Amino acid sequence: MSKIFQLSIIVATLCIIPTVSLAFAAESAGEYIDRKAEIWNLFFRLMVVAFVVGGVIAGTMVWQVWRFRESNPKAKPTPYEEKGEL
Amino acid sequence: MGHSNWAEWIYVAVVIALLVYVGAEAWNIENLIEHTPQDAEIIKVTAQQWLWSFEHEDGTKEVGELHLKKDHAYKFEITSKDVNHNFNIPEFVVLMDAVPGRVNTVWFSPNQAGEFDIQCREYCGLIHYNMRAKLIVEGV
Amino acid sequence: MVLELKRARPVWQIMFSTHHTDVGLMYLIFSILAMFIGGAMAIALRVELFAPGAQLIQDSMTFNRLFTIHGTTMIFLFLLPSAAAVGNYLVPIMVRYKDMAYPKLNAIAFWMIPPAATLVWLGMADFGWYANPPYSVISAPAPAAEMWIFGLKILGVSSILGSINFVVTILKCKHPDLSIGKVPLLAWSFLSSSIIVLAAMPTFAAALLMLLTDRLGATGFFNPAVGGDPIAYQHLFWFTFHPEVYVLVIPAIGMMYEIIPRFSRRPIFSHGSGVFAFVLLAIVAFASWAHHMFATGMTFTEKTVFMIGTLAAVPASAMHVFNFLATMWNGRIKFATPMMWAVGGIALFFAAGAGGVVNTAMPLDFITHDSYWVVGHFHLFVFGTIAFGTIGFFYYLFPYVTGRMYNEKLGVVHFILAFVGACITFFTQHILGLFGMPRRIYDYPEIDTWISMNALISVGAMIILVGMVIFLANLIYSAAKGKPANLQDPFGLGGKYYYPYSQRNPHHGEGGY
Repeated sequence: MSKIFQLSIIVATLCIIPTVSLAFAAESAGEYIDRKAEIWNLFFRLMVVAFVVGGVIAGTMVWQVWRFRESNPKAKPTPYEEKGEL
Repeated sequence: MGHSNWAEWIYVAVVIALLVYVGAEAWNIENLIEHTPQDAEIIKVTAQQWLWSFEHEDGTKEVGELHLKKDHAYKFEITSKDVNHNFNIPEFVVLMDAVPGRVNTVWFSPNQAGEFDIQCREYCGLIHYNMRAKLIVEGV
Repeated sequence: MVLELKRARPVWQIMFSTHHTDVGLMYLIFSILAMFIGGAMAIALRVELFAPGAQLIQDSMTFNRLFTIHGTTMIFLFLLPSAAAVGNYLVPIMVRYKDMAYPKLNAIAFWMIPPAATLVWLGMADFGWYANPPYSVISAPAPAAEMWIFGLKILGVSSILGSINFVVTILKCKHPDLSIGKVPLLAWSFLSSSIIVLAAMPTFAAALLMLLTDRLGATGFFNPAVGGDPIAYQHLFWFTFHPEVYVLVIPAIGMMYEIIPRFSRRPIFSHGSGVFAFVLLAIVAFASWAHHMFATGMTFTEKTVFMIGTLAAVPASAMHVFNFLATMWNGRIKFATPMMWAVGGIALFFAAGAGGVVNTAMPLDFITHDSYWVVGHFHLFVFGTIAFGTIGFFYYLFPYVTGRMYNEKLGVVHFILAFVGACITFFTQHILGLFGMPRRIYDYPEIDTWISMNALISVGAMIILVGMVIFLANLIYSAAKGKPANLQDPFGLGGKYYYPYSQRNPHHGEGGY
């Protein structure tokens, strides 16, 4: 649950800053939109999203793979093992 | 269809929310950069196997080199004489296919002076790998 | 077993057989052969690209031919036949039927592939596996182009015939006591991917014919000099091949649905979600094709429509990832070789998908289009997800096909080398693309960042190569001399572990699968 909360904070920040900057759209330097800056800016914002989500998923997988491996001292048989129909 | 578990529903909702964010941001930025200014100078770009040639508004022609002025707006009208090519100035993220029989447009304003690479970004045969030109931006 | 080397069956008996296990075996052997041939081409490309200047390959035409045929081989001659191998072997077993619906047609579909491969390999066309006109019409040398076109025509028909067989077998030949909802997810994956093929492939068949008649000068569909439109080809091509990439990935995900629950010793978290996600993906696959054409001069509205279509496919894939993770939760996981490959495949699947979302954000395509980012992205899919799932499944099937166990330690070493190699190679390619290096180039200027990244990528490719050589050695040695496997439970998972109705190959004596 807290992971989802943290994620939404990050996403909200990523939304607010560009929205605010678009509202104050008079570019300070020169008359024209800096194509390069706009595009790379978007790229880096999406990279933040991708790496956060990736971190959550990869982190979950790494933890799972470690905790539920059969050689873990805490490992116990699953309820399905006795029944036989997997 | 049987997914009765709340965790899965929340997960799918989060995924969809993130995708909506991506889509909305992309839409915004694309909208922003596609607005060609009225005073953009038109540069005709012609691609052919395997070189780039340019023609300014005043009729000046250049081959293999393009001289532009810093902080001016330019709109490229791009076409090809033979096969598909792609006009790409990586430094300024200018990229557009050069398709024979068609004119594609893209605009930009170089905000840095110096020498930059122009390369071809669509496979066009033997010398595709070396179909290059130089962009020279003059100004202070 | 179908491949018992100690008591070898006559080769002609396998070659003329129409039994699904034999046809599956032939697809399997052919696809592994093609994987190594395509892999050798990739190694040649990476050796050449190690540094600027000519290394191994002295002229750009040879390089262009190699990357074209590398792509064509890997997609059409490795991935599609390997999925067909798995499907042929297991689909009849999963639906409790004695064979595929049309066994003779099945054998014919397989036997079309070697002649088609011969045409493709002897031709060595140079126009990239997309065969985009006008280059492929007015500039690509003959007879290579025609041979490629004919080869792909034949492969398309083979794919369609195989798909018909899968659809009829699953829908019409399944056992009366087996409801469609209870059909295993691997079978569902073949049903979905086969339906996609039937809907998508005819468009490409038309495009190939049009390309051929254009080359002959009889028509001008794609040649602007005679009034044609090159972009029309791209629509036809991608209308087939975007769904086709789902045809490639869906069976691999199905294979993971076999491995992960078994090796976690738990049933799949939600069978219904898996079915829903496969069907949804099959439908939405058709909504995104022109995201491959963002650089051709599409309008803002057109690009938006296809961006939305692309994003719409992500939740379905995300559902599969959730399903896998939720299945492993609270399991007791045996990390034998097949499971390692499946789990590694899921991790790289996510990375591939994330990169794809970046591509489809319209403005970002201006950075990534036709650069090494795209090369890294799709290789994370085809190698990191599909080949990982497939190779893991080959290890899983090994005891059933040969009656023997492969060497587990070598399997683990293979996995580690492939995973590390894939990360080094394909993640670095993403960054190289951001630095502006185009794809399909024989040589590159002496830009320091490009040089060091290319060298690193080539090293990664060599690591993958070492793993693959070990794989080949393991396969051959273990098939002949491996320890006999316990066919009831080769991996020691406990519990009843296979489908209740398994087939007997009619040519085989006792114990034959």
